[in-house]
Amino acid sequence: MQNIIKESEKEDALKILVAEDEVMLAKAIVKILKLNGYMAEAVYNGLDALNYIESSEYDMAILDVMMPKMDGITVITEVRKRSLQIPIVLLTARAEIQDKVAGLDGGANYYMTKPFNTKELLAVIRSLEKNQITEEVKLNCGNIILDRKEMELSSPTGCYRLSKKEYQVMEMLINSFGHGIRKSRILEKLWKTEEGDTNEIVAIYISYLDNKLAALHATVKIYLQGNEYCLKEVRNDV
Amino acid sequence: MTFEEFYGTNYAKMQKAQKQLQDMVYRYEKQVNKDDLNPVMYLSSRIKQPESMLLKLKKRGFEQTLDAALHDVFDAVGLRVICSFVSDVYDFVSWLRRQNEIEIIEEKDYYTCPKPNGYRSFHVLLKIKEGAGKDLHAEMQIRTIAIDCWASLEHQIKYKKELSNEQMIREELKRCADEIASTDLSMQTIRDILMNG
Repeated sequence: MQNIIKESEKEDALKILVAEDEVMLAKAIVKILKLNGYMAEAVYNGLDALNYIESSEYDMAILDVMMPKMDGITVITEVRKRSLQIPIVLLTARAEIQDKVAGLDGGANYYMTKPFNTKELLAVIRSLEKNQITEEVKLNCGNIILDRKEMELSSPTGCYRLSKKEYQVMEMLINSFGHGIRKSRILEKLWKTEEGDTNEIVAIYISYLDNKLAALHATVKIYLQGNEYCLKEVRNDV
Repeated sequence: MTFEEFYGTNYAKMQKAQKQLQDMVYRYEKQVNKDDLNPVMYLSSRIKQPESMLLKLKKRGFEQTLDAALHDVFDAVGLRVICSFVSDVYDFVSWLRRQNEIEIIEEKDYYTCPKPNGYRSFHVLLKIKEGAGKDLHAEMQIRTIAIDCWASLEHQIKYKKELSNEQMIREELKRCADEIASTDLSMQTIRDILMNG
């Protein structure tokens, strides 16, 4: 049995948020994740968990059910209410069957009981990572549709075929609809920064998409807020 | 049937109308002087072939007469203005709207609402109000270079009878049209960035 230890600072590594009020356990999970090639950070209450998830900085979240300020199930409910698609693993203590049911119904992707098996947790994470790629074919947002299979952006009046990067940026924006995404976060996730790419390349792709959304008469638009891009319903009062 | 046989005495005037409109486009080119990119890349024009005209009249349910050809359809005289960028297309149309020697009867913006097959272009049906081509109708199609290439290819399908894979070809052509339109907009974006510093 091999233990492949790869402390990873890879920029495109999956970034996982761990929300667990038992500090030692939280740190242990973070350490395990880092040793297995992921980036990870811990928070210790539900309110922080919700705020951190809303920042669009994380690709996945592991939430404990019992947390101060906001319990894990409420966090999940709130996250899904905000149309955020981030995969979430719920950690529940053994006896709380109703938590598992409520969690899954509320939008969790998986649950694990504590104490959990490390290998199982890692396998769950890998599985969720893979499944993200084979999700629904069409993403709807306002009056536009992003078709994953064909890489098309369309509206009732027209249709454009996007290049791969354009598609990936648009997908990120739709998955964080209504929430800002840091410019450099987009850069980290989609471009290899060793090659000297800067936020400027992100700006160009955002311009491409914005012009296409306008040409499609989309009811959504990309707004720049400070150093974050945000896809939102078009505001007529600008 | 030759052009003279079908169009009769109107033919000479149609040729004058064609020239008048061409000259109008050349005037536009001279007036507009932006960066190094020509506002108009190519210009082509034609008087509709008698066979095509008869086919079109038949398809539209009109009588197949000269009278119908000159008054029920508007593209006996046709011009195609090819531009580099989408914004050039719209700039030219704006300019056209301000020209007193013509009256615009109808505008069809296929950029805003592409045809189901993916076709994009801007069509202007007009009537010449003054000059050698007075009272004649004409159609101007204004489009980008890339779309023009696509349109020529798409046109080929019409002449191939019984294509076994016609459906697949049409779908692939639509895909190309959507990719071209996407690239056109991306290039437009880059050009705007260059022009605005």
